[in-house]
Amino acid sequence: MNEILEVNNLSVSFHTPDGEIQAVRDVSFSLGAGEILVIVGESGCGKSVLCKTIMKLLPSTAKIRSGNIRVKGTDITGYRERDMQRLRGKLFSMIFQDPMTALNPVMPVGKQIAEAVKVHQPKISKKELKKRVIELLTLVGIDRPEERMNMYPCHFSGGMRQRSVMAVALAGNPEILFADEPTTALDVTIQAQILKLLRDIRRKLGTAAVFVTHDLGIAARVADRVAVMYAGKIVEIGTAEEIFTDPRHPYTWGLMKSLPAFSKGRDELYTIPGMPPTLLHPPKGDAFACRNEYALEIDYEEEPPMFRVTDTHYAATWLLDERAPRIPADACVLKAADLPDCGKPYPARGVMKTRIKEEILLDVQHLSYTFSIKDKLSVKALEDVSFQIRRGEIFGLIGESGSGKSTAARCIMNICRPPGQGAKGRLSRTDIRKGADIGAARAGRILYKGIDICEPGQFRRNKQMLERARQMVFQDSNSSLNPRMKVCDIIAEPLKIQHINPPRGSLRAEAEFQMHYVGLDAGYLDKYPGELSGGQRQRVAIARALIMEPELLVADEPIASLDVSIQAQIMNLFRHLQREHGFSFLFIAHDLAMVEFLCDRVGVMYQGKLVETAPVKELFSNPQHEYTKKLLSCLNDIRYAPVPSTITSY
Amino acid sequence: MAGEFEFAGIKEIVRAESVRRKKWYEGKPILSMLLLGLIIAGCLNCSLIMTKDPSYMDLQNYNVPPNREFLFGTDTMGRDIFSMIWYGGRISLFIGIVSTVISTVTAVIFGAFSGSAPVWADRFLMRLTEILLSVPGLLAVIFMQAVLGEANVYSISLVIGITSWMSIAKVVRTEVRKLRSSEYVIAARCMGGNFFYILRAHLAPNFVSSIMFMAAMNVRSAIVAESTLSFMGIGLPVEVISWGSMLSLAENALLANSWWMILIPGGFLIVTLLCITDIGNYLRKNMNRMESNL
Amino acid sequence: MGRRILCFLLSIFLLSAVTFYMARIAPGDPLVSYYGDRAEKMSPKERKWAEEKLGLDDPITVQYIRWLERAFHGDFGISYKYKTDAVDVIKGRAGNTLILGGIGFVLIFVLSLLLGVLCAWNEERLLDRMICKIGTAASCIPEFWLSLVLILIFSVNLRLLPSSGAYTVGGEGEISDRIRHLILPMVVVVASHLWYYAYMVRNRLLEEVRADYVLLARSKGLRKRSIMFRHCLWNMMPSYLSIMAVSVSHILGGTYIVETVFSYPGLGTLAYESARYQDYNLLMVLCLMSGILVILCNMAAQMINEMIDPRMRTAPVMSKSRKSRPPEAAGKAGK
Repeated sequence: MNEILEVNNLSVSFHTPDGEIQAVRDVSFSLGAGEILVIVGESGCGKSVLCKTIMKLLPSTAKIRSGNIRVKGTDITGYRERDMQRLRGKLFSMIFQDPMTALNPVMPVGKQIAEAVKVHQPKISKKELKKRVIELLTLVGIDRPEERMNMYPCHFSGGMRQRSVMAVALAGNPEILFADEPTTALDVTIQAQILKLLRDIRRKLGTAAVFVTHDLGIAARVADRVAVMYAGKIVEIGTAEEIFTDPRHPYTWGLMKSLPAFSKGRDELYTIPGMPPTLLHPPKGDAFACRNEYALEIDYEEEPPMFRVTDTHYAATWLLDERAPRIPADACVLKAADLPDCGKPYPARGVMKTRIKEEILLDVQHLSYTFSIKDKLSVKALEDVSFQIRRGEIFGLIGESGSGKSTAARCIMNICRPPGQGAKGRLSRTDIRKGADIGAARAGRILYKGIDICEPGQFRRNKQMLERARQMVFQDSNSSLNPRMKVCDIIAEPLKIQHINPPRGSLRAEAEFQMHYVGLDAGYLDKYPGELSGGQRQRVAIARALIMEPELLVADEPIASLDVSIQAQIMNLFRHLQREHGFSFLFIAHDLAMVEFLCDRVGVMYQGKLVETAPVKELFSNPQHEYTKKLLSCLNDIRYAPVPSTITSY
Repeated sequence: MAGEFEFAGIKEIVRAESVRRKKWYEGKPILSMLLLGLIIAGCLNCSLIMTKDPSYMDLQNYNVPPNREFLFGTDTMGRDIFSMIWYGGRISLFIGIVSTVISTVTAVIFGAFSGSAPVWADRFLMRLTEILLSVPGLLAVIFMQAVLGEANVYSISLVIGITSWMSIAKVVRTEVRKLRSSEYVIAARCMGGNFFYILRAHLAPNFVSSIMFMAAMNVRSAIVAESTLSFMGIGLPVEVISWGSMLSLAENALLANSWWMILIPGGFLIVTLLCITDIGNYLRKNMNRMESNL
Repeated sequence: MGRRILCFLLSIFLLSAVTFYMARIAPGDPLVSYYGDRAEKMSPKERKWAEEKLGLDDPITVQYIRWLERAFHGDFGISYKYKTDAVDVIKGRAGNTLILGGIGFVLIFVLSLLLGVLCAWNEERLLDRMICKIGTAASCIPEFWLSLVLILIFSVNLRLLPSSGAYTVGGEGEISDRIRHLILPMVVVVASHLWYYAYMVRNRLLEEVRADYVLLARSKGLRKRSIMFRHCLWNMMPSYLSIMAVSVSHILGGTYIVETVFSYPGLGTLAYESARYQDYNLLMVLCLMSGILVILCNMAAQMINEMIDPRMRTAPVMSKSRKSRPPEAAGKAGK
């Protein structure tokens, strides 16, 4: 097989004031011409660092400690910047996670592509250059390239920017393309397009690719071979078929089982317990041992070597040693009975059969909301949105970014200023132009238990009740917790603001109780949010919302910024807490699978409009609106065959 | 070795973290703090240090270079520079601090107001600050002082204070705007926290750190402004001893080539300014930096 | 464009009104600057006559309207102190200040870019650290003191350079003489402002260098040098230019102290005198001039910014095609 890239025993570490971070530890793999290798792993496992190491794009604090990198047989480990410049773009090139920042904002897109062409063909004529740029733009699927090449990145949408980044990367006809989570920052429908484009390009140009992602579903769609990384090491590597049909490493099992599709119809999502270790002082032995149900004694003592399964399939787990005990036949199949969840089983206190009551708690009627950005330019964030939430119901709202889901949540929480009065005026004008019926123009109300919260008078009269009964959880736990407050103060903050006497004596005791409730150790009480991981912070945010015993909880993309395994933990927590408390729950997400798991009814938002509302089963089995169909097809497309059903024991 | 290959399951790992605890002085500007401390202590306890009465004009010994009796020499009016340094430092530092307090308080009020005001008011107020900012600070001080006439310590502090609040106000306003749209403030508002609660619990602790640096820089520029004013002869009169007014005799000193009259007070002035700058930079630096991509 | 000119005229008008009223409300006797010591010995009758002659007895508003009327025809009145046309007085001095401030400004502009790039290029290496240390120290030295020390060293002790004036009396035409007189003041002007701007360039560049697009540029094989100059420096230009535009007035204003110490005949000293001695007409012209300068510089900076940075322009493409909404929409939700 002709290997164009070979990495042998590569170790990379960063020097920080706190010590040495071993970001990549003893990694070996190879890449054949025209092959797509997908590297899967959670954030912080060193997968991006690995790519950047090969391209030598790391900051000066990073050092290759050992190992070598061979490109087409030449060792480039010791290459200096000057030599690398010649290789970059021509031999390998890279696309990045966030297309919003990857392009220079003040340079026309065409010029940025032209620059990349010119680096390797300095003598190219102007005419040829232009031709080449247009050719590249067409290749990545941007229509009207002649017109678009003179536009700036700020005039492009996210998907188009990512396409332009690809055009830049492909300008030098590279043989290897590194893609660092290229679809993570994009909407589901765009994601599918970009993945398709990537496959097309491979087919047309025969470019090999190293594709980094955290999402096994994406891996299943594009991969020829898959490498699973954990804590800086490749723990399992093999062809896509081998990995998906016959995974050998417990971590790979965990990842597969975490896919929401796997938990379909079950009560809880599968989660890998615990959290990934920090690479500052990696633990002794196998880094995954402390999250591994099937860890052996030796895992805590000695790091497992790579065991050969087949010629192409290797895995680093002691379970493959001949001395290891046989794993129970159902080991890697989910057992509904003994689902572990972050080491703490849920107390199964009577599940309410009649969870959903008939009483309508929240009634959103013909809600419209317009942002005026500049004097003349205004954006309709919401247009005639109506839905109801009953008491005890979980209502899901899905849609791509910018579809107005967050605005709806903020209107319900009275964060966005009264759409009531203001919107009436605005609405009537647009309605007259559009010839809509007068009924819509008069409306734009949000009724909470019959109180119109958009009307200042009514809101003021019921202010205290409303502030106590409605609570919100935000998307980014990093910014929704004050970095200068301790966890116990954060959790008890609502009680303090509302001057409620804590029923358990002190605010601290109250905070401690809530922490325990959301599965956090009391030891975190005196820490600052910055010392917690993303999942822990989100738990703190949930505890803060629950301390008020709310009737309505609004969660605005609460899991979007978390890792897959942590996402599942939080989802289970939500489900459990909702059962326990019986609050009504407005859950906003862009991830269909999560909504399917949690919600009773779902609303689909598209460009500010609520295009479809249906009970969850109905929506997924029989979507009505075009957009919903498109969304679902993306979901099914990504969930490609070999994923969960075929995981069997060996 | 058979025992090694047995299921152990999930075990809690006690991690022996060998995180080195930092010594208290690490990374802190020790030298600057020490020097500044010495200068401030010396100025506050000047009566213990002074060897002569700083305002006494010894007409027999004028313009004497440093010697054993007059450690730093005497000026053209026969006053002992060593005593004047400590005595005058008090006034220089006092003006620096008072005017900074004035400007910082103005700035915080103005900035917080502008930051929490509706967009049109905010835009107007910021335009105003920008216009004021584009007036050279020292020139504005000079004009105001010229208009006010005879200066004393308080009027100088006031003039310096009210001409130097703009840049802090801008910082405060930007911080407030940023924090105001941050989610934890929105969360607090959802919970029913009113404006003052949010200001006290969320806003103030967060912008204190960025103000500290600006305030330190303001102390610095206030001291510079005072000495410049006094030097030009529109600040404190020669009889009121400060580092600036000591330097206002420099023209005579130049003629007589008496370096000590220029270098010694100036040296003290600059060492103080350097120490303040260094400490200010330290206050600002505690944010973590990303690594360069280039 | 029309709106901009309107804005400009309005601010000039406001500025003139504010200065006019402020100057007149402030305590002080304008007659002193006209008649010198004689003013104090005047009898009330003489005083009244003098005030009438200078038009100072009317209400301030009437005076202001009259001033406006005359100014419209290009007549800005006479300077009380110099007893000649205010514009002529300024004309005589403006050249000196323009040479000092203008050349100083250009030097600061160029040198701060060079120093900033040099520092950013060698970030956290020895050279950068040394320049930073020296720069911080230099920015702590008050202008007047630096001038004094330079005079002490180069004029008094070494006798290399002249300590005062813009030229030796009698040698007005000689360029080398002028340059010799210009060296010390110029050093002070540049040294006292340089680090502030260089440090800003450095920090902005360090921010730019951390942006993601640098990685993309490197991965396409661009050389570090061209990334630094063609991408980072260019992207930083808009903010640098707008700060430099504001700095024009600061640097010109800053020459005042230098002019005083070096007895350099320029506008700075003139402005100070006119404020101190209530020379109203002169003050008005000076204020208007500096105001116009500041506003013009700001406008120029804004225009250059819009030329460089497409985000500052109102995007015509966006509003027409409904394809995607502006990215601000999501962020705006918070407000």
